[in-house]
Amino acid sequence: MSSLSRRQLIKLFGASAVAGTGLFGFSNQAWSNKSAHIVIVGGGIGGAAFAKYLRIADANVRITMIEPNPLYTFCPGSNEVLNGHETLDNLTFNYDTFKSRFGVNMVQDKAVAIDYEKRQVRVASGQAISYDKLVVSTGPDFMFDAVEGYSAELAAGDFPHAWKAGPQTAMLKKQIDALPQGGTVVISSPDGAYRCPPAPYERASMIASHLEKVNPTAKILILDSKNSFTFDKHYWYYWTERHGYGTDKARISWIAEKDGGRAVKLDAQNKTLTTASGEKIKADVINIIPPHKASKFAVDSGLAQGGRWVPFNAKTFSSTMDPNVHVIGDMVDAPMSKTGMIAGNQAKVVAQAIVDELAGREPGTPFIANNCVAIISDDYGMTIADTHRFGGDTYLLQKRLSKVEANPYERRIRAELAKNWQRTFRKEIFS
Amino acid sequence: MKFPIKKQLFTLALCAMFAAPGLAAKAKLTDAQINEINAQYPMPTGKMLGDSCAACHGTLGAEFGEGMPPLAGMNRDDFIALMKAFKANAFPTVVMHDVAYVYSDAEIEAMADYFAAQPAQQWPHLNADGTVKTQVNATGGAQ
Repeated sequence: MSSLSRRQLIKLFGASAVAGTGLFGFSNQAWSNKSAHIVIVGGGIGGAAFAKYLRIADANVRITMIEPNPLYTFCPGSNEVLNGHETLDNLTFNYDTFKSRFGVNMVQDKAVAIDYEKRQVRVASGQAISYDKLVVSTGPDFMFDAVEGYSAELAAGDFPHAWKAGPQTAMLKKQIDALPQGGTVVISSPDGAYRCPPAPYERASMIASHLEKVNPTAKILILDSKNSFTFDKHYWYYWTERHGYGTDKARISWIAEKDGGRAVKLDAQNKTLTTASGEKIKADVINIIPPHKASKFAVDSGLAQGGRWVPFNAKTFSSTMDPNVHVIGDMVDAPMSKTGMIAGNQAKVVAQAIVDELAGREPGTPFIANNCVAIISDDYGMTIADTHRFGGDTYLLQKRLSKVEANPYERRIRAELAKNWQRTFRKEIFS
Repeated sequence: MKFPIKKQLFTLALCAMFAAPGLAAKAKLTDAQINEINAQYPMPTGKMLGDSCAACHGTLGAEFGEGMPPLAGMNRDDFIALMKAFKANAFPTVVMHDVAYVYSDAEIEAMADYFAAQPAQQWPHLNADGTVKTQVNATGGAQ
Protein backbone atom coordinates (compact mmCIF):
# COMPACT_ATOMS: atom_id res chain seq x y z
CA MET A 1 0.00 0.00 0.00
CA SER A 2 1.33 3.40 -0.97
CA SER A 3 1.10 5.23 2.29
CA LEU A 4 3.18 7.07 4.78
CA SER A 5 4.68 4.76 7.33
CA ARG A 6 3.87 5.31 10.98
CA ARG A 7 7.46 6.41 11.52
CA GLN A 8 7.25 8.94 8.67
CA LEU A 9 3.98 10.25 10.03
CA ILE A 10 5.44 10.75 13.48
CA LYS A 11 8.35 12.60 11.90
CA LEU A 12 6.06 14.83 9.88
CA PHE A 13 3.22 15.51 12.25
CA GLY A 14 4.40 14.47 15.72
CA ALA A 15 3.46 11.42 17.77
CA SER A 16 0.02 12.74 18.72
CA ALA A 17 -1.01 12.67 15.08
CA VAL A 18 -0.39 8.95 14.89
CA ALA A 19 -1.97 7.93 18.14
CA GLY A 20 -4.68 5.32 17.98
CA THR A 21 -5.39 2.68 15.41
CA GLY A 22 -7.20 2.47 12.13
CA LEU A 23 -4.75 4.67 10.30
CA PHE A 24 -5.16 2.86 7.03
CA GLY A 25 -8.87 2.24 7.10
CA PHE A 26 -9.85 5.79 6.62
CA SER A 27 -12.67 7.00 8.77
CA ASN A 28 -13.11 10.48 10.09
CA GLN A 29 -12.02 9.32 13.52
CA ALA A 30 -8.71 8.09 12.15
CA TRP A 31 -7.50 11.51 11.15
CA SER A 32 -5.74 13.75 13.50
CA ASN A 33 -6.04 17.48 13.07
CA LYS A 34 -2.31 17.37 12.46
CA SER A 35 -2.57 15.18 9.34
CA ALA A 36 -1.80 17.16 6.21
CA HIS A 37 -4.89 18.90 4.92
CA ILE A 38 -5.30 18.90 1.14
CA VAL A 39 -8.00 21.21 -0.16
CA ILE A 40 -9.46 20.96 -3.66
CA VAL A 41 -11.30 23.77 -5.39
CA GLY A 42 -13.56 22.33 -8.09
CA GLY A 43 -15.31 18.95 -8.24
CA GLY A 44 -15.16 18.32 -11.98
CA ILE A 45 -13.10 15.60 -13.62
CA GLY A 46 -9.77 17.07 -12.47
CA GLY A 47 -10.78 17.63 -8.85
CA ALA A 48 -12.63 14.32 -8.56
CA ALA A 49 -9.80 12.28 -10.07
CA PHE A 50 -7.33 14.03 -7.80
CA ALA A 51 -9.35 13.29 -4.64
CA LYS A 52 -9.76 9.64 -5.59
CA TYR A 53 -6.15 8.99 -6.55
CA LEU A 54 -4.80 10.87 -3.55
CA ARG A 55 -6.95 8.66 -1.31
CA ILE A 56 -5.84 5.49 -3.11
CA ALA A 57 -2.22 6.50 -2.54
CA ASP A 58 -2.56 7.85 0.99
CA ALA A 59 -5.10 6.75 3.55
CA ASN A 60 -4.13 9.39 6.07
CA VAL A 61 -4.33 12.85 4.60
CA ARG A 62 -7.40 14.95 5.23
CA ILE A 63 -9.11 15.90 1.97
CA THR A 64 -11.64 18.69 1.55
CA MET A 65 -13.36 19.46 -1.74
CA ILE A 66 -15.04 22.82 -2.32
CA GLU A 67 -17.70 22.55 -5.02
CA PRO A 68 -20.87 24.66 -5.27
CA ASN A 69 -22.96 22.10 -7.16
CA PRO A 70 -24.35 18.93 -5.54
CA LEU A 71 -24.26 17.13 -8.90
CA TYR A 72 -21.74 16.86 -11.72
CA THR A 73 -22.67 16.17 -15.36
CA PHE A 74 -20.02 14.73 -17.66
CA CYS A 75 -19.37 16.61 -20.90
CA PRO A 76 -18.02 13.50 -22.69
CA GLY A 77 -21.12 11.81 -24.10
CA SER A 78 -23.30 14.92 -23.91
CA ASN A 79 -23.36 15.40 -27.71
CA GLU A 80 -25.15 12.06 -27.88
CA VAL A 81 -27.94 13.49 -25.74
CA LEU A 82 -28.86 15.59 -28.78
CA ASN A 83 -29.78 12.57 -30.91
CA GLY A 84 -31.34 10.69 -28.00
CA HIS A 85 -28.61 8.04 -27.72
CA GLU A 86 -27.58 9.21 -24.25
CA THR A 87 -29.40 10.81 -21.33
CA LEU A 88 -28.26 13.58 -19.00
CA ASP A 89 -29.33 11.37 -16.07
CA ASN A 90 -26.83 8.75 -17.16
CA LEU A 91 -24.06 11.38 -17.29
CA THR A 92 -24.88 12.93 -13.90
CA PHE A 93 -23.28 11.95 -10.58
CA ASN A 94 -23.46 13.09 -6.97
CA TYR A 95 -20.53 13.20 -4.55
CA ASP A 96 -21.69 10.45 -2.16
CA THR A 97 -18.83 8.13 -3.15
CA PHE A 98 -16.32 10.82 -2.30
CA LYS A 99 -17.86 11.33 1.13
CA SER A 100 -18.46 7.72 2.10
CA ARG A 101 -15.72 5.84 0.35
CA PHE A 102 -12.88 8.25 -0.20
CA GLY A 103 -13.40 10.12 3.06
CA VAL A 104 -13.59 13.52 1.43
CA ASN A 105 -15.07 16.40 3.38
CA MET A 106 -17.43 18.01 0.85
CA VAL A 107 -18.00 21.74 1.25
CA GLN A 108 -20.91 22.80 -0.94
CA ASP A 109 -19.91 26.39 -1.44
CA LYS A 110 -18.17 28.61 -3.94
CA ALA A 111 -14.49 29.41 -3.46
CA VAL A 112 -13.91 33.13 -3.95
CA ALA A 113 -10.32 33.90 -2.91
CA ILE A 114 -6.97 32.45 -1.87
CA ASP A 115 -4.86 33.93 0.92
CA TYR A 116 -1.45 32.58 -0.07
CA GLU A 117 0.29 33.92 3.06
CA LYS A 118 -2.14 32.33 5.49
CA ARG A 119 -2.72 29.30 3.25
CA GLN A 120 -6.46 29.72 3.32
CA VAL A 121 -9.27 29.55 0.79
CA ARG A 122 -12.24 31.80 1.43
CA VAL A 123 -15.68 30.62 0.34
CA ALA A 124 -18.74 32.70 -0.49
CA SER A 125 -20.37 32.10 2.90
CA GLY A 126 -17.34 33.79 4.50
CA GLN A 127 -15.60 30.74 5.98
CA ALA A 128 -11.82 30.49 5.58
CA ILE A 129 -10.52 26.95 4.99
CA SER A 130 -6.86 26.34 5.84
CA TYR A 131 -4.73 24.08 3.66
CA ASP A 132 -1.29 22.54 3.59
CA LYS A 133 -1.61 21.94 -0.15
CA LEU A 134 -4.24 23.45 -2.42
CA VAL A 135 -5.34 21.96 -5.73
CA VAL A 136 -7.33 24.19 -8.07
CA SER A 137 -9.27 22.66 -10.96
CA THR A 138 -11.98 25.14 -11.85
CA GLY A 139 -12.04 24.60 -15.61
CA PRO A 140 -12.57 27.20 -18.30
CA ASP A 141 -14.68 30.29 -18.55
CA PHE A 142 -16.28 31.51 -21.78
CA MET A 143 -15.32 34.63 -23.75
CA PHE A 144 -18.83 35.72 -24.65
CA ASP A 145 -17.58 39.07 -25.97
CA ALA A 146 -15.87 37.35 -28.94
CA VAL A 147 -19.33 37.43 -30.55
CA GLU A 148 -20.89 40.88 -30.11
CA GLY A 149 -24.38 40.65 -28.65
CA TYR A 150 -23.84 37.21 -27.08
CA SER A 151 -23.82 36.86 -23.29
CA ALA A 152 -24.00 34.44 -20.38
CA GLU A 153 -27.65 35.49 -19.95
CA LEU A 154 -28.52 34.56 -23.55
CA ALA A 155 -26.61 31.28 -23.15
CA ALA A 156 -28.73 30.45 -20.10
CA GLY A 157 -31.85 31.28 -22.11
CA ASP A 158 -32.64 30.78 -25.79
CA PHE A 159 -29.04 30.57 -27.10
CA PRO A 160 -27.37 27.74 -25.15
CA HIS A 161 -23.70 27.08 -25.87
CA ALA A 162 -24.15 23.71 -24.13
CA TRP A 163 -20.38 23.48 -23.72
CA LYS A 164 -20.87 22.66 -20.06
CA ALA A 165 -23.23 19.71 -19.98
CA GLY A 166 -26.47 20.24 -18.06
CA PRO A 167 -29.58 22.41 -18.50
CA GLN A 168 -28.15 24.05 -21.63
CA THR A 169 -27.72 20.61 -23.23
CA ALA A 170 -31.39 19.86 -22.51
CA MET A 171 -32.39 23.25 -23.96
CA LEU A 172 -30.41 22.66 -27.16
CA LYS A 173 -32.01 19.24 -27.56
CA LYS A 174 -35.44 20.78 -27.10
CA GLN A 175 -34.66 23.33 -29.83
CA ILE A 176 -33.39 20.65 -32.23
CA ASP A 177 -36.52 18.58 -31.58
CA ALA A 178 -38.72 21.62 -32.27
CA LEU A 179 -36.89 22.55 -35.47
CA PRO A 180 -39.40 23.25 -38.28
CA GLN A 181 -39.21 20.92 -41.30
CA GLY A 182 -36.36 22.13 -43.51
CA GLY A 183 -35.11 24.48 -40.75
CA THR A 184 -31.54 25.61 -40.18
CA VAL A 185 -29.14 25.00 -37.28
CA VAL A 186 -26.01 27.13 -37.11
CA ILE A 187 -23.05 26.13 -34.95
CA SER A 188 -20.24 28.63 -34.37
CA SER A 189 -16.96 26.83 -33.58
CA PRO A 190 -14.24 28.79 -31.74
CA ASP A 191 -10.54 29.30 -32.28
CA GLY A 192 -7.87 28.98 -29.59
CA ALA A 193 -7.75 26.11 -27.12
CA TYR A 194 -11.17 24.82 -26.11
CA ARG A 195 -12.67 21.73 -24.51
CA CYS A 196 -12.52 18.56 -26.62
CA PRO A 197 -11.26 19.76 -30.04
CA PRO A 198 -13.41 17.46 -32.26
CA ALA A 199 -16.60 17.99 -30.25
CA PRO A 200 -18.22 20.82 -32.30
CA TYR A 201 -18.05 18.56 -35.38
CA GLU A 202 -19.18 15.55 -33.41
CA ARG A 203 -22.13 17.65 -32.22
CA ALA A 204 -23.02 18.66 -35.79
CA SER A 205 -22.82 14.99 -36.80
CA MET A 206 -25.06 13.80 -33.93
CA ILE A 207 -27.64 16.44 -34.83
CA ALA A 208 -27.38 15.44 -38.52
CA SER A 209 -27.91 11.73 -37.81
CA HIS A 210 -31.05 12.65 -35.85
CA LEU A 211 -32.39 15.10 -38.44
CA GLU A 212 -31.76 12.61 -41.23
CA LYS A 213 -34.49 10.49 -39.67
CA VAL A 214 -37.01 13.08 -38.48
CA ASN A 215 -36.35 16.20 -40.55
CA PRO A 216 -34.41 15.13 -43.67
CA THR A 217 -34.48 18.52 -45.43
CA ALA A 218 -33.10 20.43 -42.43
CA LYS A 219 -29.61 21.96 -42.74
CA ILE A 220 -26.68 22.37 -40.38
CA LEU A 221 -24.16 25.11 -41.01
CA ILE A 222 -20.87 25.18 -39.12
CA LEU A 223 -19.26 28.62 -39.04
CA ASP A 224 -15.66 28.12 -38.03
CA SER A 225 -13.10 30.55 -36.62
CA LYS A 226 -10.40 28.05 -37.73
CA ASN A 227 -9.22 26.60 -41.04
CA SER A 228 -8.80 23.00 -39.88
CA PHE A 229 -9.78 20.84 -36.93
CA THR A 230 -9.02 17.53 -35.22
CA PHE A 231 -10.23 14.57 -37.35
CA ASP A 232 -11.35 17.00 -40.10
CA LYS A 233 -10.58 14.54 -42.93
CA HIS A 234 -12.72 11.89 -41.23
CA TYR A 235 -15.65 14.26 -40.86
CA TRP A 236 -15.41 15.56 -44.45
CA TYR A 237 -15.19 11.98 -45.72
CA TYR A 238 -18.20 10.73 -43.80
CA TRP A 239 -20.29 13.87 -44.39
CA THR A 240 -19.61 13.51 -48.14
CA GLU A 241 -20.63 9.87 -48.04
CA ARG A 242 -23.72 10.30 -45.88
CA HIS A 243 -24.87 13.92 -45.85
CA GLY A 244 -24.08 15.26 -49.34
CA TYR A 245 -21.26 17.41 -48.01
CA GLY A 246 -19.97 19.79 -50.67
CA THR A 247 -23.15 19.61 -52.80
CA ASP A 248 -26.11 22.00 -52.97
CA LYS A 249 -28.15 19.37 -51.06
CA ALA A 250 -25.67 19.15 -48.20
CA ARG A 251 -27.19 18.40 -44.80
CA ILE A 252 -23.94 19.66 -43.19
CA SER A 253 -21.88 22.57 -44.50
CA TRP A 254 -18.65 23.89 -43.00
CA ILE A 255 -17.27 27.37 -43.64
CA ALA A 256 -13.59 27.85 -42.78
CA GLU A 257 -12.30 31.06 -41.23
CA LYS A 258 -10.51 31.94 -44.47
CA ASP A 259 -13.83 31.70 -46.33
CA GLY A 260 -15.57 34.06 -43.93
CA GLY A 261 -16.61 31.50 -41.30
CA ARG A 262 -15.87 33.55 -38.21
CA ALA A 263 -19.09 34.64 -36.47
CA VAL A 264 -18.68 38.12 -34.97
CA LYS A 265 -22.16 39.35 -34.06
CA LEU A 266 -25.44 37.93 -32.79
CA ASP A 267 -28.77 39.64 -33.30
CA ALA A 268 -30.79 37.66 -30.76
CA GLN A 269 -34.06 39.40 -31.59
CA ASN A 270 -33.91 38.36 -35.26
CA LYS A 271 -31.98 35.10 -34.69
CA THR A 272 -29.28 36.29 -37.05
CA LEU A 273 -25.50 35.80 -36.96
CA THR A 274 -23.15 38.13 -38.81
CA THR A 275 -19.81 36.81 -40.06
CA ALA A 276 -16.47 38.63 -40.29
CA SER A 277 -17.08 39.17 -44.01
CA GLY A 278 -20.39 40.88 -43.22
CA GLU A 279 -22.73 38.10 -44.29
CA LYS A 280 -25.93 37.80 -42.26
CA ILE A 281 -27.24 34.30 -41.57
CA LYS A 282 -30.70 33.75 -40.14
CA ALA A 283 -31.28 30.42 -38.43
CA ASP A 284 -33.88 28.60 -36.36
CA VAL A 285 -31.28 27.38 -33.86
CA ILE A 286 -28.06 29.26 -33.14
CA ASN A 287 -25.45 27.40 -31.08
CA ILE A 288 -22.43 29.63 -30.38
CA ILE A 289 -19.52 27.86 -28.72
CA PRO A 290 -17.49 30.78 -27.33
CA PRO A 291 -13.68 30.81 -27.11
CA HIS A 292 -12.35 29.76 -23.71
CA LYS A 293 -10.09 31.26 -21.08
CA ALA A 294 -9.16 30.23 -17.54
CA SER A 295 -11.99 30.24 -14.99
CA LYS A 296 -13.01 33.39 -13.16
CA PHE A 297 -11.63 31.92 -9.93
CA ALA A 298 -8.24 31.32 -11.58
CA VAL A 299 -8.23 34.96 -12.71
CA ASP A 300 -9.60 36.48 -9.48
CA SER A 301 -7.24 34.47 -7.27
CA GLY A 302 -4.26 35.66 -9.31
CA LEU A 303 -3.30 32.16 -10.51
CA ALA A 304 -3.67 33.22 -14.17
CA GLN A 305 -1.17 36.02 -13.46
CA GLY A 306 -2.89 38.36 -15.91
CA GLY A 307 -2.87 35.84 -18.79
CA ARG A 308 -5.55 33.85 -20.55
CA TRP A 309 -4.44 30.52 -18.99
CA VAL A 310 -2.74 29.48 -15.74
CA PRO A 311 1.07 29.11 -15.81
CA PHE A 312 2.41 25.93 -14.19
CA ASN A 313 5.62 24.06 -13.36
CA ALA A 314 5.83 21.09 -15.72
CA LYS A 315 6.96 18.41 -13.28
CA THR A 316 4.32 18.71 -10.56
CA PHE A 317 1.73 21.12 -11.99
CA SER A 318 2.40 23.49 -9.12
CA SER A 319 1.59 27.13 -9.74
CA THR A 320 4.61 29.20 -10.77
CA MET A 321 3.61 31.67 -8.05
CA ASP A 322 3.25 29.30 -5.10
CA PRO A 323 4.66 25.76 -4.72
CA ASN A 324 1.86 24.85 -2.29
CA VAL A 325 -0.81 25.41 -4.92
CA HIS A 326 -1.26 22.93 -7.77
CA VAL A 327 -3.34 23.56 -10.87
CA ILE A 328 -4.98 21.02 -13.18
CA GLY A 329 -7.36 20.69 -16.08
CA ASP A 330 -8.71 22.94 -18.79
CA MET A 331 -7.65 26.20 -17.13
CA VAL A 332 -3.92 25.34 -17.22
CA ASP A 333 -1.55 26.62 -19.91
CA ALA A 334 -0.31 23.10 -20.68
CA PRO A 335 0.85 22.13 -24.21
CA MET A 336 -1.94 19.53 -24.27
CA SER A 337 -5.48 19.23 -25.59
CA LYS A 338 -8.19 20.29 -23.20
CA THR A 339 -9.81 16.92 -22.55
CA GLY A 340 -11.26 15.08 -19.58
CA MET A 341 -8.68 12.33 -19.91
CA ILE A 342 -5.88 14.90 -19.75
CA ALA A 343 -7.43 16.52 -16.66
CA GLY A 344 -7.75 13.11 -15.00
CA ASN A 345 -4.18 12.15 -15.79
CA GLN A 346 -2.80 15.53 -14.70
CA ALA A 347 -4.70 14.93 -11.43
CA LYS A 348 -2.82 11.64 -10.94
CA VAL A 349 0.52 13.38 -11.51
CA VAL A 350 -0.39 15.95 -8.85
CA ALA A 351 -1.66 13.29 -6.41
CA GLN A 352 1.61 11.38 -6.73
CA ALA A 353 3.69 14.58 -6.44
CA ILE A 354 1.91 15.62 -3.24
CA VAL A 355 2.29 12.14 -1.73
CA ASP A 356 6.00 12.27 -2.57
CA GLU A 357 6.43 15.78 -1.16
CA LEU A 358 4.62 14.91 2.09
CA ALA A 359 6.94 11.93 2.47
CA GLY A 360 9.99 14.11 1.83
CA ARG A 361 10.77 12.46 -1.52
CA GLU A 362 11.60 14.14 -4.81
CA PRO A 363 8.51 13.73 -7.04
CA GLY A 364 8.97 11.21 -9.85
CA THR A 365 8.93 11.82 -13.59
CA PRO A 366 5.41 12.58 -14.82
CA PHE A 367 3.75 10.85 -17.77
CA ILE A 368 0.44 11.90 -19.32
CA ALA A 369 -1.49 9.99 -21.96
CA ASN A 370 -4.53 11.22 -23.84
CA ASN A 371 -5.96 8.25 -25.67
CA CYS A 372 -9.25 9.69 -26.80
CA VAL A 373 -12.15 8.80 -28.99
CA ALA A 374 -14.67 10.69 -31.09
CA ILE A 375 -17.55 9.60 -33.28
CA ILE A 376 -19.27 10.81 -36.43
CA SER A 377 -22.12 8.35 -36.16
CA ASP A 378 -23.06 5.14 -34.40
CA ASP A 379 -21.00 3.28 -36.97
CA TYR A 380 -17.97 5.53 -37.47
CA GLY A 381 -15.51 6.25 -34.66
CA MET A 382 -11.98 7.66 -34.55
CA THR A 383 -9.16 7.29 -32.05
CA ILE A 384 -6.25 9.54 -31.11
CA ALA A 385 -3.20 8.51 -29.09
CA ASP A 386 -1.37 11.49 -27.56
CA THR A 387 1.56 10.79 -25.27
CA HIS A 388 2.97 13.72 -23.32
CA ARG A 389 6.57 13.02 -22.31
CA PHE A 390 8.29 15.08 -19.66
CA GLY A 391 10.88 17.39 -21.20
CA GLY A 392 12.23 19.39 -18.24
CA ASP A 393 10.39 22.70 -18.52
CA THR A 394 7.60 21.43 -20.75
CA TYR A 395 5.98 18.33 -22.26
CA LEU A 396 6.80 16.74 -25.61
CA LEU A 397 4.00 15.30 -27.68
CA GLN A 398 4.00 11.98 -29.52
CA LYS A 399 0.78 11.69 -31.48
CA ARG A 400 -1.05 9.24 -33.75
CA LEU A 401 -4.54 9.45 -35.21
CA SER A 402 -6.53 6.64 -36.76
CA LYS A 403 -6.72 6.91 -40.55
CA VAL A 404 -9.72 7.79 -42.68
CA GLU A 405 -11.48 4.47 -42.92
CA ALA A 406 -13.69 2.85 -45.53
CA ASN A 407 -13.74 -0.55 -43.83
CA PRO A 408 -17.10 -0.79 -42.01
CA TYR A 409 -15.74 -3.14 -39.36
CA GLU A 410 -12.93 -0.81 -38.32
CA ARG A 411 -15.26 2.19 -38.31
CA ARG A 412 -17.82 0.40 -36.20
CA ILE A 413 -15.42 -1.07 -33.66
CA ARG A 414 -13.96 2.39 -33.05
CA ALA A 415 -17.48 3.75 -32.49
CA GLU A 416 -18.05 0.95 -29.97
CA LEU A 417 -14.70 1.73 -28.33
CA ALA A 418 -15.86 5.33 -27.99
CA LYS A 419 -18.97 4.24 -26.07
CA ASN A 420 -16.88 1.78 -24.03
CA TRP A 421 -14.44 4.61 -23.22
CA GLN A 422 -17.23 6.90 -22.01
CA ARG A 423 -18.69 4.28 -19.67
CA THR A 424 -15.34 3.23 -18.22
CA PHE A 425 -14.15 6.82 -17.91
CA ARG A 426 -17.21 7.86 -15.90
CA LYS A 427 -16.63 4.95 -13.50
CA GLU A 428 -12.93 5.74 -13.34
CA ILE A 429 -13.58 9.31 -12.25
CA PHE A 430 -16.69 9.02 -10.08
CA SER A 431 -16.59 5.55 -8.47
CA MET B 1 -16.95 47.12 -30.43
CA LYS B 2 -15.36 44.86 -33.03
CA PHE B 3 -11.97 46.47 -33.04
CA PRO B 4 -11.27 46.30 -29.30
CA ILE B 5 -12.24 42.62 -29.26
CA LYS B 6 -9.89 41.85 -32.10
CA LYS B 7 -7.18 43.88 -30.46
CA GLN B 8 -7.71 42.02 -27.23
CA LEU B 9 -7.56 38.64 -28.94
CA PHE B 10 -4.48 39.70 -30.85
CA THR B 11 -2.78 40.78 -27.64
CA LEU B 12 -3.65 37.45 -26.04
CA ALA B 13 -2.24 35.57 -29.02
CA LEU B 14 0.98 37.57 -28.83
CA CYS B 15 1.26 36.88 -25.11
CA ALA B 16 0.91 33.16 -25.77
CA MET B 17 3.60 33.29 -28.45
CA PHE B 18 6.09 35.14 -26.32
CA ALA B 19 5.33 33.22 -23.15
CA ALA B 20 6.31 29.86 -24.61
CA PRO B 21 8.88 30.30 -27.38
CA GLY B 22 10.35 26.86 -26.66
CA LEU B 23 7.08 24.99 -27.08
CA ALA B 24 6.60 25.69 -30.75
CA ALA B 25 10.14 24.60 -31.54
CA LYS B 26 9.88 21.43 -29.49
CA ALA B 27 6.58 20.47 -31.09
CA LYS B 28 8.44 19.60 -34.29
CA LEU B 29 10.66 16.97 -32.67
CA THR B 30 10.58 13.41 -33.98
CA ASP B 31 9.59 10.48 -31.75
CA ALA B 32 13.26 9.46 -31.56
CA GLN B 33 14.34 12.94 -30.48
CA ILE B 34 11.60 13.04 -27.86
CA ASN B 35 12.70 9.67 -26.49
CA GLU B 36 16.27 10.94 -26.31
CA ILE B 37 15.29 14.06 -24.33
CA ASN B 38 12.98 12.06 -22.08
CA ALA B 39 15.75 9.53 -21.37
CA GLN B 40 17.62 12.24 -19.43
CA TYR B 41 15.04 11.91 -16.66
CA PRO B 42 14.35 8.95 -14.37
CA MET B 43 11.86 6.52 -15.88
CA PRO B 44 8.27 7.11 -14.71
CA THR B 45 7.19 4.47 -12.18
CA GLY B 46 5.00 1.55 -13.20
CA LYS B 47 2.19 3.22 -11.24
CA MET B 48 2.61 6.53 -13.10
CA LEU B 49 2.58 4.74 -16.45
CA GLY B 50 -0.13 2.24 -15.51
CA ASP B 51 -2.56 4.72 -13.97
CA SER B 52 -2.69 6.63 -17.26
CA CYS B 53 -4.33 3.50 -18.79
CA ALA B 54 -7.31 3.73 -16.43
CA ALA B 55 -9.67 5.77 -18.62
CA CYS B 56 -9.96 2.76 -20.95
CA HIS B 57 -9.04 -0.21 -18.74
CA GLY B 58 -10.55 0.92 -15.43
CA THR B 59 -9.12 2.14 -12.13
CA LEU B 60 -5.99 0.06 -11.36
CA GLY B 61 -6.76 -1.75 -14.63
CA ALA B 62 -9.74 -3.38 -12.93
CA GLU B 63 -12.64 -2.98 -15.36
CA PHE B 64 -13.80 -6.54 -16.03
CA GLY B 65 -17.13 -5.87 -17.69
CA GLU B 66 -16.22 -4.09 -20.92
CA GLY B 67 -14.79 -4.61 -24.37
CA MET B 68 -11.45 -3.07 -23.55
CA PRO B 69 -9.89 -5.81 -21.43
CA PRO B 70 -8.90 -5.66 -17.74
CA LEU B 71 -5.20 -5.45 -16.86
CA ALA B 72 -5.44 -5.97 -13.08
CA GLY B 73 -3.89 -9.29 -12.10
CA MET B 74 -2.66 -9.98 -15.63
CA ASN B 75 0.24 -12.36 -15.86
CA ARG B 76 3.45 -10.35 -16.14
CA ASP B 77 4.94 -12.28 -19.06
CA ASP B 78 1.67 -12.23 -21.00
CA PHE B 79 1.42 -8.45 -20.58
CA ILE B 80 4.99 -7.96 -21.78
CA ALA B 81 4.60 -10.27 -24.77
CA LEU B 82 1.34 -8.65 -25.86
CA MET B 83 2.55 -5.06 -25.46
CA LYS B 84 5.72 -5.82 -27.38
CA ALA B 85 3.64 -7.42 -30.13
CA PHE B 86 1.40 -4.33 -30.28
CA LYS B 87 4.49 -2.14 -30.38
CA ALA B 88 5.92 -4.13 -33.30
CA ASN B 89 2.53 -4.02 -35.07
CA ALA B 90 2.64 -7.83 -34.95
CA PHE B 91 -0.74 -8.39 -33.27
CA PRO B 92 -4.00 -7.22 -34.87
CA THR B 93 -5.66 -4.27 -33.12
CA VAL B 94 -7.40 -1.04 -34.12
CA VAL B 95 -5.91 1.05 -31.30
CA MET B 96 -3.17 -0.55 -29.22
CA HIS B 97 -0.42 -0.31 -31.85
CA ASP B 98 -0.90 3.47 -31.75
CA VAL B 99 -0.66 3.42 -27.95
CA ALA B 100 2.11 0.86 -27.35
CA TYR B 101 4.76 2.24 -29.72
CA VAL B 102 5.78 4.99 -27.28
CA TYR B 103 6.86 2.68 -24.43
CA SER B 104 10.38 1.39 -23.90
CA ASP B 105 10.84 -2.28 -23.00
CA ALA B 106 11.73 -1.24 -19.44
CA GLU B 107 8.52 0.80 -19.18
CA ILE B 108 6.46 -2.14 -20.46
CA GLU B 109 8.07 -4.34 -17.79
CA ALA B 110 7.34 -1.77 -15.06
CA MET B 111 3.67 -1.64 -16.10
CA ALA B 112 3.59 -5.45 -16.22
CA ASP B 113 4.80 -5.58 -12.61
CA TYR B 114 2.28 -2.95 -11.54
CA PHE B 115 -0.73 -4.66 -13.09
CA ALA B 116 0.36 -8.16 -12.04
CA ALA B 117 0.38 -6.90 -8.44
CA GLN B 118 -3.24 -5.61 -8.56
CA PRO B 119 -6.03 -7.91 -7.37
CA ALA B 120 -8.00 -9.35 -10.31
CA GLN B 121 -11.18 -7.93 -8.85
CA GLN B 122 -13.72 -5.52 -10.36
CA TRP B 123 -13.32 -1.87 -9.32
CA PRO B 124 -14.80 -0.71 -6.98
CA HIS B 125 -13.45 -3.59 -4.93
CA LEU B 126 -16.23 -5.38 -3.07
CA ASN B 127 -16.49 -7.33 0.13
CA ALA B 128 -17.81 -10.90 0.06
CA ASP B 129 -21.32 -9.64 0.90
CA GLY B 130 -21.33 -7.30 -2.09
CA THR B 131 -20.82 -4.09 -0.14
CA VAL B 132 -18.11 -1.69 -1.32
CA LYS B 133 -14.81 -1.96 0.51
CA THR B 134 -14.07 1.22 2.41
CA GLN B 135 -10.35 0.64 2.18
CA VAL B 136 -8.83 1.00 -1.24
CA ASN B 137 -5.53 -0.61 -1.93
CA ALA B 138 -2.99 -0.03 -4.63
CA THR B 139 0.39 -1.62 -4.88
CA GLY B 140 3.34 -0.69 -7.00
CA GLY B 141 5.00 2.63 -7.59
CA ALA B 142 7.94 4.10 -5.75
CA GLN B 143 6.74 3.42 -2.20
